[in-house]
Amino acid sequence: MTRVNWWLTGLLAACSLTVLVPLYFTVVTALKSPDQLTGSGLALPSEIRWSNFATAWELTGYPRAALTSALITVSAVLLTLLTNSLVAYAIARNMERRLFKGLYYYFVSALFVPFPIIMLPVVKQTSMLGLDNQAGLILLYVVYGLAFNIFLYVGYIRSIPVSLEEAARVDGAGTWTVFWRVIFPLLAPMNATVGILTFLWAWNDFLLPLVVLSEAQTLPLVQYVFQSQFNTDYTVAFASYLMALAPVLIVYVFAQRWVISGVLRGSVKG
Amino acid sequence: MARSIALLVAAALFASSCGQDPGSAVTLDFFQFKPEAVKTFDRIIEEFEREHPGVRVVQRHVPNAETALRTRLVRQDVPDVLTLNGAGVFGELAAAGVFHDFSRDRVAQVVNPPVQKILNDLGTFGRGEVNGLPFASNANVVIYNKDLFARHRVEPPRSWAELIAAARTFRAAGVTPFYLTLKDAWTALPTFNALAANLAPADFFARRRAGLATFLSAYPQVTEKLKELYSHGQPDRLSRGYDEGNRAFAEGRAAMYLQGSWAIPAIKGLEPAFELGTFALPAVQDQRLVSGVDVAVTMAREPRHPKEAMAFVEYLMRPEVMKAYAEEQVAIPPLRQAGSPVLREVLPYFERGRLAGFPDHHIPLAVQLERLLQRFLIDGDSRAFLAELDSEWDKVMERRS
Amino acid sequence: MSRAFYWMVLPAFVLFFVFHTVPVLQGVYYSLTDSPGYGEHAFVGLRNYVNLFKDDRILDAYLFTFQFAVVATILTNVIALAIAVGLSARIRFRTALRGIFFIPNVLAILIVGYIFNYLFSNYVPVLLGELAWIGVVVVAVWQAVAFNIIIYLAGLQTIPEDLHEAARIDGAGSWRRFRSVVFPLIAPFFTVNMVLSLKNFLQVFDHIVALTNGGPGTATTSVSLLIYTGGFQGGEYAYQTANAIVYFVVIVLVSIFQLRILQRREQL
Repeated sequence: MTRVNWWLTGLLAACSLTVLVPLYFTVVTALKSPDQLTGSGLALPSEIRWSNFATAWELTGYPRAALTSALITVSAVLLTLLTNSLVAYAIARNMERRLFKGLYYYFVSALFVPFPIIMLPVVKQTSMLGLDNQAGLILLYVVYGLAFNIFLYVGYIRSIPVSLEEAARVDGAGTWTVFWRVIFPLLAPMNATVGILTFLWAWNDFLLPLVVLSEAQTLPLVQYVFQSQFNTDYTVAFASYLMALAPVLIVYVFAQRWVISGVLRGSVKG
Repeated sequence: MARSIALLVAAALFASSCGQDPGSAVTLDFFQFKPEAVKTFDRIIEEFEREHPGVRVVQRHVPNAETALRTRLVRQDVPDVLTLNGAGVFGELAAAGVFHDFSRDRVAQVVNPPVQKILNDLGTFGRGEVNGLPFASNANVVIYNKDLFARHRVEPPRSWAELIAAARTFRAAGVTPFYLTLKDAWTALPTFNALAANLAPADFFARRRAGLATFLSAYPQVTEKLKELYSHGQPDRLSRGYDEGNRAFAEGRAAMYLQGSWAIPAIKGLEPAFELGTFALPAVQDQRLVSGVDVAVTMAREPRHPKEAMAFVEYLMRPEVMKAYAEEQVAIPPLRQAGSPVLREVLPYFERGRLAGFPDHHIPLAVQLERLLQRFLIDGDSRAFLAELDSEWDKVMERRS
Repeated sequence: MSRAFYWMVLPAFVLFFVFHTVPVLQGVYYSLTDSPGYGEHAFVGLRNYVNLFKDDRILDAYLFTFQFAVVATILTNVIALAIAVGLSARIRFRTALRGIFFIPNVLAILIVGYIFNYLFSNYVPVLLGELAWIGVVVVAVWQAVAFNIIIYLAGLQTIPEDLHEAARIDGAGSWRRFRSVVFPLIAPFFTVNMVLSLKNFLQVFDHIVALTNGGPGTATTSVSLLIYTGGFQGGEYAYQTANAIVYFVVIVLVSIFQLRILQRREQL
């Protein structure tokens, strides 16, 4: 029963190289000087060139872009958790009513609308409303997130017994109080899932910030914008890529178990 | 807890939106399309700001500048001042009434009239309007490595036969004749233009629009010669792009480079000591040099800061600024005088007026000529290429009618 | 029923309507005009739709997109399922390996694309040239496998251990055990993964921007990319919006069709 299948372990470890090798390659390339870029490219740098990072840092305006990305991501996650769960609660508890059931399908069907259809009208609209900035982008993430998050939350809330709420209602609590005091705390696992998925989406997204933001630039955007300015300084380009990937990689390394179990939970419900 | 988080978010948003520009200076939004020229414009802006302390100019440059600009137009957010390549998109936007009319402004007088005409011919909003000012002209030239030419005793070719003979000589000596960069589809356009301007009838596009001519009947010579040139390139052409081509050429890895004057600053930037020369692609006897408006300067029809925007345009159009730019970016200032010393070899074309515009500017962008061209240069099927060019042309025209 | 429920959904409904439904309706409207996206435009009826069906470039983009999406969906699901089954067997370092396999999912695909672009052009240039579509498949699968593994792992966790044991005592080989015990139980997860993968791959965009920009020629021009480049660079916004609407209908039809087929299989 406890016999470890070493053969399979080895095979899976070998497969994991397909993930690790490109990452390793990115790291060593970012540390090299251009004249070390010969051969297989997998050799360790003979001399580490930290200045690649300084150059990329300055060229792309890294701190500003990172701050913008962080602000957008964190706000989008928090607002999504607070609002989407609330909407889902109202829908989940009234699914037998035609209005709420219709609303459920209304939100979820948006999953299938390709972004190009709405791209241009959204660009027009956000700028008309003065929302072609970080605030507008955050709002769009929260609103567009409804489609998938309602789907996740409603499934989860419906598995929470109504009797829990009734106890609170007997004590005189209104619907709002019931939600914040009873339901929201119970949603913690699903909040983790939604939070992680929203985080990854907002942090890594490219097309929406590209067309919506008129001034500010996120981390993926600056990689795109400066692609031509990197010229053939591949080592600087890789330093820049690495710096753009680093924050999420570091968070992931520390929160790995938690992230994966969050996603696992989302898929069982989904 | 929830409320305090919301407050935090609101505070952060507020801080970020108020974080810019404490002073009362006017900020001009300057859209600059040319990645090679970002640093040059930074310096120009610096000097302008020193002269105009109340004005701050923010240079914005993005890849696919024309797409980005169209996105901004959708937003009705026209940059105060902008540069654009004097090509199809410029004409379309000018005709749509996006740009200022300079016809009554003093600043329009400095430009050499024939060059101004090339730009106006692309499109204007009203009859007789001037919707942009030529800031720098380019020359569609073949760049060559002087050292390799001397070492293999090759003279800059003056006829097609000499060009092919030169390519053969280099090949026999193990030197790549042409460095090709087909990963970036557009890099095949300069050569296409040089050949088309000289080999196709001058009135071809008028006749094509009238339905009296086809690419299939008028362009076989163009594709044939293009194919011949591309048979003398290096094998990894498909995985090499423009930036890599500039580097490879600067490192002496090929004798010739089928580009244009705009590539020279990038090459020089990589290897300042590199000795290069230029010649016009000798497609026919007494051929014409293809030259266009590399950089056109214009401003919004309704700029947010009309006075300051005009001051910046006037500053850019000062002959000494244009000349300094041309010097640094190896362009030809569209004034009456001569241009950059690197382009000395092709200046006679300018002096004798043996110039032609870019043929591809007449082909609608929706045809996506460069993609068709790229495919042709991979599969070599000339008939299929020209037939598709014709059918795409017809389809786009039908969609527009 | 409490009135509060209405207040809970009203703002969300209004915002969603304003920022999603209105733009969709505007998109439909524009698809019936000749608008380049700015300036004036005229109503042209169904002309854009008629022209769509006459445009072989649009057809090519659909063919490429489907070819890519089908291949990528199958590869992603086969690989992800195999790795997930491996991960739930009795192996060492399970958590670490699972953590590694998930990494691609947390990375921005645009940047991943740039990294692979460099790798391909210097070590396997053919993946940006004649076989560019395979290059796109490699990057897309590399990233998508990560998420799919997790979903399959979730499915595999729902299988009680004693079922495995029972099958083993019956003397079933591991392939038989997978076919007749494991797979039927995770079939719903397989359905979800197939539908979502195909839907996502049909909308492929970032990968192609970073890798090939649709080339060489138009060989890797996906429908999304064509809508973006044709609509913005080519200035045919209305025409490409009509394309986007047709594309939406196609995606919905494909998803429904797929659900039908796969759910019927589940019931067998």
